[in-house]
Amino acid sequence: MNAVQAPTRKSETRSKDQVDKPWQVIILDDPVNLMEYVARVIVKIFGYSREKAEEMMMAVHQRGKAVVWTGGREKAEMYVNQLHSAQLHATLEKSE
Amino acid sequence: MMTVGPTLDGGLKLVPEEEQDWDVLLKIAGDAQGDLPQKLAGLMDEDSMWEDIVMPELATEFSSQRSYVSGVVEKARKAEEDEVIIRRDDAEQWYGALNQARLALEEKYGFGPRELRDADEISDEDMRSAYFRDEFYVTIQSLLMQYVLTD
Repeated sequence: MNAVQAPTRKSETRSKDQVDKPWQVIILDDPVNLMEYVARVIVKIFGYSREKAEEMMMAVHQRGKAVVWTGGREKAEMYVNQLHSAQLHATLEKSE
Repeated sequence: MMTVGPTLDGGLKLVPEEEQDWDVLLKIAGDAQGDLPQKLAGLMDEDSMWEDIVMPELATEFSSQRSYVSGVVEKARKAEEDEVIIRRDDAEQWYGALNQARLALEEKYGFGPRELRDADEISDEDMRSAYFRDEFYVTIQSLLMQYVLTD
């Protein structure tokens, strides 16, 4: 009789660590998107003031990238989805 | 030379005066053909499942923008209309299609930031033509931002 191997449980799609630790939504600079448009998109998606959005837009432009939001992974993914829909280069990084 | 200006109801009017002007408008959708959804998905980690879930949605959305703009321009051209109107409600579609075109041209030719460009340094004919189309597209985008996409 062949030994039956005990079933192994697959790991969760996302580990608890990934879900619990805060994630940063980052906008990356690109040579195409207009600065005015980037600020407008930040206001529309995150609801920030015009001043705050322009500060973030300038940070993207001058430093090449900027953190625009920090929080849970799922909400961060939703924001990146919206930024991608607006054709901005954006990604997620785990907070330090 | 094409004339572009705001309309009284908050849109933008493009008035092509030469065949070449229509050619540029008709090239927007073609220039916009690129792999933007794939490129954006490449910015995400594997856990996000971006390629399976988000990328197809983005591809549909971006394709819709291209189809819309090419449809409006082709319809106006076939009807021998004197102008192409960008209605306020459709401005996002136009902006998106123009942006796709510029992102694709940038990826193909690497023009770089506008403040550092010099058209005189471009000798290749295709690249030079693409450069001026890009300049035209960004001018329309700027006018959309200034007159139409105002909150």
